[in-house]
Amino acid sequence: MVTQNWKYKTKNFRYRKLITFIGLVLIFVGLPFIVHSPYYIHLLIIAGMNAILAMTFIMILRTGLISLGIAAFWGIGAYASAAFVMKGEVSFWLALPAATVITGLISWAVGYLLVRNPGFGFLILTAVIGMLISLVFGNISWLGGFTGIEYISPPNPIDISFLAPILFISKIPYYFLMLGLFLLVLISFWALYHSSTGRAWMAIGLNPHLAESIGVNVFRYRLIAFVIASAVAGLEGSFYAHYIGSINPNAFNIFKTINIHIYAILGGTGSVFLGPIIGTLIMTFVPESLRIAKEIEPILTGALLILLIIFLPGGILSLFNLRHRHSEGTAGITRAIKKSFLLIGKKQKETHAPS
Amino acid sequence: MLQVRNLSKFFGGLAAISDLDFDILNSEILGVIGPNGAGKTTLFNVISGFYTPTRGRVIFDSHDITGLKAHQVAHVGISRTFQASNLFMSLSVLDNIFTCHHMSYRTSIWKRFLHTPSAIEEERRLRGKALEILEFMGLDPLKDELAGRLTHGQQKALGLCMALATDPKLLLLDEPVTGMNPVEIQTMLNLIGRIRSRGVTIAIVEHNMQAVMNLCDRIIVLNHGQKIAEGSHKEIIENQEVIEAYLGKDEES
Repeated sequence: MVTQNWKYKTKNFRYRKLITFIGLVLIFVGLPFIVHSPYYIHLLIIAGMNAILAMTFIMILRTGLISLGIAAFWGIGAYASAAFVMKGEVSFWLALPAATVITGLISWAVGYLLVRNPGFGFLILTAVIGMLISLVFGNISWLGGFTGIEYISPPNPIDISFLAPILFISKIPYYFLMLGLFLLVLISFWALYHSSTGRAWMAIGLNPHLAESIGVNVFRYRLIAFVIASAVAGLEGSFYAHYIGSINPNAFNIFKTINIHIYAILGGTGSVFLGPIIGTLIMTFVPESLRIAKEIEPILTGALLILLIIFLPGGILSLFNLRHRHSEGTAGITRAIKKSFLLIGKKQKETHAPS
Repeated sequence: MLQVRNLSKFFGGLAAISDLDFDILNSEILGVIGPNGAGKTTLFNVISGFYTPTRGRVIFDSHDITGLKAHQVAHVGISRTFQASNLFMSLSVLDNIFTCHHMSYRTSIWKRFLHTPSAIEEERRLRGKALEILEFMGLDPLKDELAGRLTHGQQKALGLCMALATDPKLLLLDEPVTGMNPVEIQTMLNLIGRIRSRGVTIAIVEHNMQAVMNLCDRIIVLNHGQKIAEGSHKEIIENQEVIEAYLGKDEES
């Protein structure tokens, strides 16, 4: 009797979620017909991109790792795509998946070496990648050195026989392209989190030793999370390069990664989708609407982050007391950092085994 | 069922286990006892793949499993519990066990996403199996409680359920009754007995002598990483070396 009741409740809940999701999608589809200011459309596009980057951060965090190299892989995707289109004369529609695959392959090679050192090692090594990437790009003259690549051509027009061709001149086509990519990533992530892979990630994030002893290949599943997250960051990088039209190495430095972390932490890392989306929207629109001078913005973001960690460690979502299944808030982050520091100086292999 | 041959594990120059030889026989309960620091937990960590042995072989069902990783050892059918309560604290009791079905879960991502009949069927089957284990262990009234909210005794029982959920042939229990009151100990011993009657072979590390003596068919005694005695509990109690290991040598004799 009790079980049936429970099933009924979850089923009802699932439909309510689905209806809310479709409603939100319809709102975002209709938005450009109401909001005519290209400036706000631009902000929405950037927010969508940043929200996805924040989601990739959370995907890696779920497996108990903190990556400081998200912007680096974002940059690799951007440069790969720009190089394909500008040097290789390939269509954008081919360069987009190609950049994703290349970022995925590079992250697989890097992750294969880094993911073996969970905790402090991973944190520092990804930070090194995050800091070095701008220097690496800056010193490849073929990729434009420190001035970067300019005048990247926009996506090729989409020709549909019975409609006028869709040209990427105004912001609107970019907005819908972003919305499409956003939905694609959202649905794939949702499917992943609800599959056995997602369950294995959750098990690793909650208790890596126990996960191992029930037969979860911890290294493999961490690597999967790292590669998927990085490949998606590469996808966003490819979009970014063609949307902005020019890229330079400094756009992909470690401060971008830290901003991505702030978006996720502000919204609440206990939620895989809602937290990053809310955090990013707030961080994009609130400073803009207050017309804060660019010079003091970093100071305000820094102060905000400190206040958040002290007073609202679970992020904005924790205010609504959402009883999310994985709800752990930033407690997960603090724990991961604490663990990282405890591991310094000890032999990794020996500290691994439980008592 | 499990053969351990010349097993040694060194930490730096310190031998936690040295040249250990013993067998675990089919569907028996083997007790591993010894003073603190005798290498009992290290032994379990080596068998279950958390440590790589320095020397020696571990053979399970005539497969050499020496040096396999912990998750690979789980795949051949050896499951373990931990000394400290080691659970997914923020998940419910039922979800804890459901998570342990990782190895037998077959549904692909897209089938799960589209809720195909086979995906729903598998989910229902595994949930049923998890419930069955909970009922078997008497934890079913607590299935929706968070694991972190259980009492110590219940958490240990849940740990046992989780080890059982991986369908092991050999179960390694690391101090299953430590820190429990006598009533909880009795419940736990009954549970372990019932698991054995399902045909699961069990090895136990435990400090509680009463529990070990009541439960185990055979006992091996470790001291300083070496086996000093082996046999039924009667033989162990009368063994001079064991008495010395526990109580110290009589200087005057």
